[in-house]
Amino acid sequence: MIEFKGTYFDGRSSKAYAVSIQSDGQRIRIAGNADGLPLLFPLGKCRLTPPLGRTRRSILLPNGGRCDTADLRAFGKLESLKGDNRILRLVNFFESRWRLVVGCLAGLIACVWMFTAHGIPFAAKKVAYSLPPETMESVSERTLQALDDGFFKPSALSQKKADHLQNIFRQLIADVDSGFHYRLVLRSSPRAGPNAFALPSGIIVMTDELVKLAENDRELIAILVHETAHVENRHGLRMLFQNTGVFLLISVLAGDVASITSIAATLPTILVESGYSRQFEREADLAAGMILVGKGWGTRPLQTVLQRLSEKQPEFSGPAAMSTHPQTRKRISYLQDLEASLTR
Amino acid sequence: MSDIEVNGIKLEMENPQSAEALSSGEPAVVAPAGSQRYRMIFSGTAGEYFRIWMVNLFLTVLTCGIFAAWAKVRSRRYLYARTLLAGQPFDYMANPWFIFKGNLIVGAGILLYLFADTYNQLYSSGVLLAFYLVLPFLICKSLRFNAYNSAYRNIRFRFYGSLKESYGIYLLLPILIPLTLGLIVPFWMYRRKKYFFQNFSYGATRNSFEGNAGAFYRTYGLAGLVSMVFLGIGVAGFLGFVSFVEDISIQPAGLSRAIVLIPIISYVVMMVYFTLVQQYIFGRVTNYCWAQTRAGTLQFQSRLEIRKLMWIRLTNILAIFISFGLLIPWAKIRRTRYILNSLTIISERSLDEYSAAAEADQSAIGEVTTDFFDIAIGI
Ligand SMILES: [Zn+2]
Repeated sequence: MIEFKGTYFDGRSSKAYAVSIQSDGQRIRIAGNADGLPLLFPLGKCRLTPPLGRTRRSILLPNGGRCDTADLRAFGKLESLKGDNRILRLVNFFESRWRLVVGCLAGLIACVWMFTAHGIPFAAKKVAYSLPPETMESVSERTLQALDDGFFKPSALSQKKADHLQNIFRQLIADVDSGFHYRLVLRSSPRAGPNAFALPSGIIVMTDELVKLAENDRELIAILVHETAHVENRHGLRMLFQNTGVFLLISVLAGDVASITSIAATLPTILVESGYSRQFEREADLAAGMILVGKGWGTRPLQTVLQRLSEKQPEFSGPAAMSTHPQTRKRISYLQDLEASLTR
Repeated sequence: MSDIEVNGIKLEMENPQSAEALSSGEPAVVAPAGSQRYRMIFSGTAGEYFRIWMVNLFLTVLTCGIFAAWAKVRSRRYLYARTLLAGQPFDYMANPWFIFKGNLIVGAGILLYLFADTYNQLYSSGVLLAFYLVLPFLICKSLRFNAYNSAYRNIRFRFYGSLKESYGIYLLLPILIPLTLGLIVPFWMYRRKKYFFQNFSYGATRNSFEGNAGAFYRTYGLAGLVSMVFLGIGVAGFLGFVSFVEDISIQPAGLSRAIVLIPIISYVVMMVYFTLVQQYIFGRVTNYCWAQTRAGTLQFQSRLEIRKLMWIRLTNILAIFISFGLLIPWAKIRRTRYILNSLTIISERSLDEYSAAAEADQSAIGEVTTDFFDIAIGI
């Protein structure tokens, strides 16, 4: 027989009645000094609130009434007799022990690391490859339009030079054979300087400044191959999905205080996202390096043009973890290692 | 009085003849003779809440978000259970399965938006527009759900705000804000608060709200005035800095470093300033709204001090920063304790004499959606 003291509320008025509660595991009896008491209910018809810290526990009665008690020990006995709240009892077991809580912190860190390093990139890749190549066409066109409006001027290269570049590009993509509709777009941009980038649908933009920076066709081809690798590996779409994944993860972690700590949450987001971006650069360098080695040129053209690019633009001076492109020195030595391993 | 001591928990009652209310500058609550004052007491501790938070966060991430609904109910149940009024705790009684279903719907909506966005931004704008159209519905449902699942002494709260009013406040008025150059923002805030405070009931006891928009215009007006001065100082400081840099041509390295720092510093200053303004408005509005609210013969008095609110918020943000988020539970408990402990309930009747309203069920979809998108509709 379990017996403990509690407070009874009938659910119709806010009046509190001091009662004593008795149970034999089959039935529950609430006795006290008030109208309608004592009450007798089958225990199976009652619900017990799950344990939560050292807060009071309650029995929800079938008549809409409720018994609160601070006698957690007696209530626990009643609960194990009844067999309620198995999972939440386990959760409460963890919550009430500091050592297990620290274990959960370690588990949380491991989970977050697993998600950001493997789970999110894996899922993003799966989704990106399951979509047809045309998916990003409209968005890419819009992006180019926006850049044209605010950033770019028409290319000032001679018609001959432009035709030559388009020729090179056509030969290059003839080898690639994929579902993307490739297009080389030449623009001038004093503000962006020497630069090239790929939009996910296969639009590759190259600035006049970059064309002038390159010393020969091989260097330009090296750049273009690197950019097509971004397209082929669907880096744009994957990046989008990965960043969404990180955003969702950080929203879950920050919880409902996300609004106050939004500044705090942007920093880890930037770190993770620039990490992803550096990975994609490496992947594109790898693909480009393989093709260049296949042509018998070695990775030198890409190395030299990267070197010159970094001399032209001041190297990102912040911490390495925050730069989106791996620092040039690292990229060049990676390319050298790649060539060595491929030509051995 | 008629309240009993239950299970060794003593009630805290203040001296009913307290004259502090009149000296505080806030709208005074004149308590009728013979009435009782009950202070709200929040007894949650950072350690206990931290443990609950950590275990539930871990389970949420481990289950890819499935456990989020249960985690949320647990953390809210804790905060409610640790809020005592006249010795009795509040209860949060939501069924996690409802919130789980809501989470699924929200998740589906987000996926739909993302896919629409990758195909064509026109489609995703459509999804966004649809979201704005259902938002007032969700806010109304969310308020009803949360009220219905909150109880004190086994009497549930209710929210009687109509859907029509919600659409007026959350769809129509926001459209008018740009058209009126933001001049109706205080009025908008007033309507939102009125919607909230007026439509609550404790059981069968309906709230009433006597506030007017004038008080909101005064609060926002002062905040706007101070912001203007602040902005002026900021611009002057920036111009001064620029001319300083031009006068003394510092060596290039130092100059570029200084130029890199300007946006960072001004961003931090801006964020701190916005936080302070936010706390000022929150404190003033909360104190005012409680003072203007009646629930039957019940009166409320919230005595938040702006300076303390600002201090708590700033130090909370700092603590969360330097602890990599581990102090989030501590920060939350600290702020909740201050806000709740500043609230006093003045009652002519005994708190024993309130009765329940008639039954009705309410769906949960509203609850999570508003929470996910973090719309500040709370008190
Ligand atoms: Zn690249």
